[in-house]
Amino acid sequence: MYDQHDKTLRFFRVFNMIIIVLLCLTIILPFLNILALSFNDGADAQRGGIYFLPREFSLENYIEVFQQSTIINAFGITLFRTVLGTIFSVFLTAMAAYALKTKTLPGRKVITFFIFFTMLFSGGVVPYYLVLNELQLTNTIWVYIIPSLYSVWNILIMRTFFQQIPESLEEAARIDGCSEFQIFIRIILPMSKPVIATIGLFNAVAHWNDWFSGSFYVRNSELKPLATLLQEMLTSQQALSEALLQNSGAYAALDKITVTGDSLKMATIILVVAPILMVYPFIQKYFVKGVNIGSVKE
Amino acid sequence: MELAASKKVANPSPKQKKNVKPKKITVENVWQHRVQYMMLLPCILFFILFSYLPMAGMILAFKEFRFDTGIFGGAWVGLEYFERFFQDPQSWTFIKNTLIISSMKLILALPFPIILALMFNEVQSNKLRGFFQSIMYMPHFLSWVVVVGIIQSILAPNTGLLNQFISFLGGDGSTYFLMEEEYFHSVMFWSYIWKDIGWNSIIYFAAIMSISPALYEAAAIDGANKLRQIWHITLPGIRPTILILFILSLGNILSAGFDQIYLLQMPGNTEVSEIIDTYVIKTGLESGQFGYATAVGMMQGVVGLIVVVIVNRFSNKMFNTSLW
Repeated sequence: MYDQHDKTLRFFRVFNMIIIVLLCLTIILPFLNILALSFNDGADAQRGGIYFLPREFSLENYIEVFQQSTIINAFGITLFRTVLGTIFSVFLTAMAAYALKTKTLPGRKVITFFIFFTMLFSGGVVPYYLVLNELQLTNTIWVYIIPSLYSVWNILIMRTFFQQIPESLEEAARIDGCSEFQIFIRIILPMSKPVIATIGLFNAVAHWNDWFSGSFYVRNSELKPLATLLQEMLTSQQALSEALLQNSGAYAALDKITVTGDSLKMATIILVVAPILMVYPFIQKYFVKGVNIGSVKE
Repeated sequence: MELAASKKVANPSPKQKKNVKPKKITVENVWQHRVQYMMLLPCILFFILFSYLPMAGMILAFKEFRFDTGIFGGAWVGLEYFERFFQDPQSWTFIKNTLIISSMKLILALPFPIILALMFNEVQSNKLRGFFQSIMYMPHFLSWVVVVGIIQSILAPNTGLLNQFISFLGGDGSTYFLMEEEYFHSVMFWSYIWKDIGWNSIIYFAAIMSISPALYEAAAIDGANKLRQIWHITLPGIRPTILILFILSLGNILSAGFDQIYLLQMPGNTEVSEIIDTYVIKTGLESGQFGYATAVGMMQGVVGLIVVVIVNRFSNKMFNTSLW
């Protein structure tokens, strides 16, 4: 009877592991497919039959992508907003969180609710757009950075983290004559690396992935970020990517067409995903910690 | 998930040491905290400009918008926009579509991350589990644009992975899944699961980890097998987490996720894929009917807030947990 029990348990564990591995494969395989397509000759790919390895290996798609001034420009815009937006956002969020953590702050509860309420209710996207318009932010690069400086969620996560730093440290510094701002810079920030990494990652990913503001708040095509460009490629189906190709004269220069709208799209997807995949393994241990700080710790 | 989690953040637990209260608002006390107020100033300004000003801008729902007079000028039109919305038979289709999609995401999708968390819990090696978890979290960090791009490629007629597999099995491999109405809900649902199942399992997994191992040991001595342990110990242990997350997610009942649905929309499926979120963007931002779109968006926001408030009161009574 005991043996029987052990056997079923082992069977159960092996079965469980197999399912998990299969689930992980459903995540990995689609990427391999896109990767294979992006490194495959575009015209050849139209015949189908490409799974997880390229059939006719070719770098043409990437060469074409990197020759597109539109894509390079969009890459630059995305990089600019991600770096600048993340730095400003993390610093400002930390300042607000530090102030809100101060228990003696007069009006602390009112201010916290004032901020928290915006998470429950918003005026909707149309009045929001019109406000951006009145503030002259639309159609400038600042519409990517300024309206996303703060997020309620990030402020709350940081505040919870700061609350866990022993107050005796601050008091000691205060006795040594440190000003409040010095305490924030010299004591709080250096002790908060995990949460700074987490919020930094959330911010950077949100900036990198945001296509919405580029599509609806900006008309000037020179200000479009990479994600918006990819979105335009997807929605207009072939049209845009083919137009890009025709502009570049790829059709005229080559007697044989090797790059198609679809293959260009695959290379662009990889270009958008690659930076996230490259930093992901290094920061993932931080964000799980960070998320748990903000959620489950009581 | 965010709301549920933040409630714990917003309500400092009784465990916290000294119960220091905010000081009274007097000139002296305020002056003493001037550095903190300076640090908060940009934040408060930000929320006034980008959250409260748009809330005031909802007045547009009752006004005619003109660019020369701005948000608060324009003539009053009363409830005209609301009447127009409810008299349009199409609107009911949009409401129905929104409810179908959001309830699929809120109810049908609910067990998946819980089951995944239970499965992670059964992996014995910490290293291996961490590895699997980081793979499963990964799609959460991708933009819907990328995910839809991948879907378009995999579901493409003839050349896509799925269709090739179908023809390999001897079927007809030319189905254009994204164009056909009947496949829309499954594509929407499974891509949603694919993207967020891992991420959503984090909070359940943390809840499972906080269950005392002594309970399992006792059950094992009593001869309970694995499934019985899960049924009688693990699930009851995480029931509060499940309930709170579910009840609070009901606040999203009228918003079914703009990014995903907008990007999956195709000429062939608009009959089932047009939801309130996409309708607001299309009438408002794309064709400039600002007043009308504001009115439609406002109903969405108000219903969401009402549901949250009611549900919060309910959860306060039943489970003693509250948002504020």
